[in-house]
Amino acid sequence: MEGTARILVIDDEEIVLDSCTEILRGEGYQLATASDGTRGLALLKEFRPDVVVVDLKMPGLSGFDVLERIRSIDATVVAIVITGYATVSSAVEAMKRGAYDFLPKPFTPEEFRLIIRRGVEKRTLVFETIALRRERDLLREHFSSIVSHELKAPLAAIQQNVYVLEAQLAQTATPDQRERLGRVKTRMADLIQMVDTWRRGVSVDLDAIKARQVPVSVRVPIDKAVESALVYATRKAVTIDVSVPDPAPQVRGDQGTLTEALVNILGNAVKFSREGGRIEVTAEVRDDDVRIAVADHGVGIAAEDLPHVFDAFYTQPGAAGERGSGLGLAVSRRIVEAHSGTILVQSTPGQGSTFVIVLPALDDDGPGEGRREAEPLAASAKDGPR
Amino acid sequence: MTERKRLMIIDDDPDFVAGIRAILDGAGYETDVAYNPKDGFDALKAKAHDLLLLDIMMGRGAEGVMMARKIRKDPALKDLPILIITGIREQIAFMFPGQAVHPNFVPLNELIEKPVEPDLLLERVRALLQAAEARGQPVS
Repeated sequence: MEGTARILVIDDEEIVLDSCTEILRGEGYQLATASDGTRGLALLKEFRPDVVVVDLKMPGLSGFDVLERIRSIDATVVAIVITGYATVSSAVEAMKRGAYDFLPKPFTPEEFRLIIRRGVEKRTLVFETIALRRERDLLREHFSSIVSHELKAPLAAIQQNVYVLEAQLAQTATPDQRERLGRVKTRMADLIQMVDTWRRGVSVDLDAIKARQVPVSVRVPIDKAVESALVYATRKAVTIDVSVPDPAPQVRGDQGTLTEALVNILGNAVKFSREGGRIEVTAEVRDDDVRIAVADHGVGIAAEDLPHVFDAFYTQPGAAGERGSGLGLAVSRRIVEAHSGTILVQSTPGQGSTFVIVLPALDDDGPGEGRREAEPLAASAKDGPR
Repeated sequence: MTERKRLMIIDDDPDFVAGIRAILDGAGYETDVAYNPKDGFDALKAKAHDLLLLDIMMGRGAEGVMMARKIRKDPALKDLPILIITGIREQIAFMFPGQAVHPNFVPLNELIEKPVEPDLLLERVRALLQAAEARGQPVS
């Protein structure tokens, strides 16, 4: 809040206005008074108060009406009601309509000073909250560009030159030097990939995913994800069995991000599998849902950790001590939720885990206009208030 | 190679440029470099080039995109093949928030991500040059 706090008192009794003015004299506030609701609301725009004190019972516009108008004009204004009939119900009603606090008449000067002070503090907090929220959104928004410029760009420049060095030294370097260069290249590639994953974790563009949705056979993202996971699976002698009905179930989705969601889950399944283990990937239609399950027979997840596996930056070392970014499953969940789906996990420590992606099945009978209309509505209702 | 192809690199990261330039020089291409869009455009106007390798995020933002659009509007340069090399593929989405990411967001021929493996870079450059020749280009 800039400068001194502004207080507006709305009451039809002149004596209340006078005494309020008197009580707050010398407290360092700017004060304005109004003898009815209409004048009070006019002052709301002119005087731009931080705190408004409203009498509930006034001729003309009632205190309740004034409260509602205040809230619709500027919800950040802190409203305090004073009431002669200090019943619980009127106070509750006032709070429901957005009042921050209430003060029964008669009140002592000290009570009035205190409640005003608290109101002003509340107003400051409201502004701080708004500023912090805006900052958070801005950070999220710009994280992508910050990371790309400050981290990814130098890493890419280094790696580009490593590529050149490798080619230039191919004939002359000793095997030891070549191996060393290979290590540099591998670690750089890991670092670049981690930066990419972090960035993805923060900047998964849900709106873009929704905009890109078309009918997709789940066979495609499953096959692509398995292909990508096979590199690591083979290294650990882990086999991946895929069982998808023919024809494969269809969903409305974005193939690229669905694949990404599955890659993360499948990657984890490999990571938490023991050497020589087995992973089953299945797809089936149950009721109106398509369920894609990834089951491993690895180390499993402890019951107390289960609620946190989808949290960002939650990470556990794999069966062979592998490290992760702690963002894979968080990204998967955001992607699945952008598809109006859910993601479930069951696990028994020592026996393995099963992750299930549940997506609304696409109707076979035609393009399904109704569904297409309904989905964004459901999504926006979920995304609305925060 | 009968005539050496002349490539223009516009990128504001000198270290990255050194990396791709070495690869392209090693493959027998002539390379010119500009470290900002303005110098790059002047250089393209001053001398004929067969291909442009263009960075997206330069200066105060997506100046590479403005650059590509300007080139496509220029009568002498509009057919120049452009290979976009960007730090982050989704930067394009980031630059146009709320818009669907369309591969033809700007008329460009190819887009690859940094860092780029030498073989991939050379393959793309070759493919673009061949495609341009097949169309009866370039202007040089």
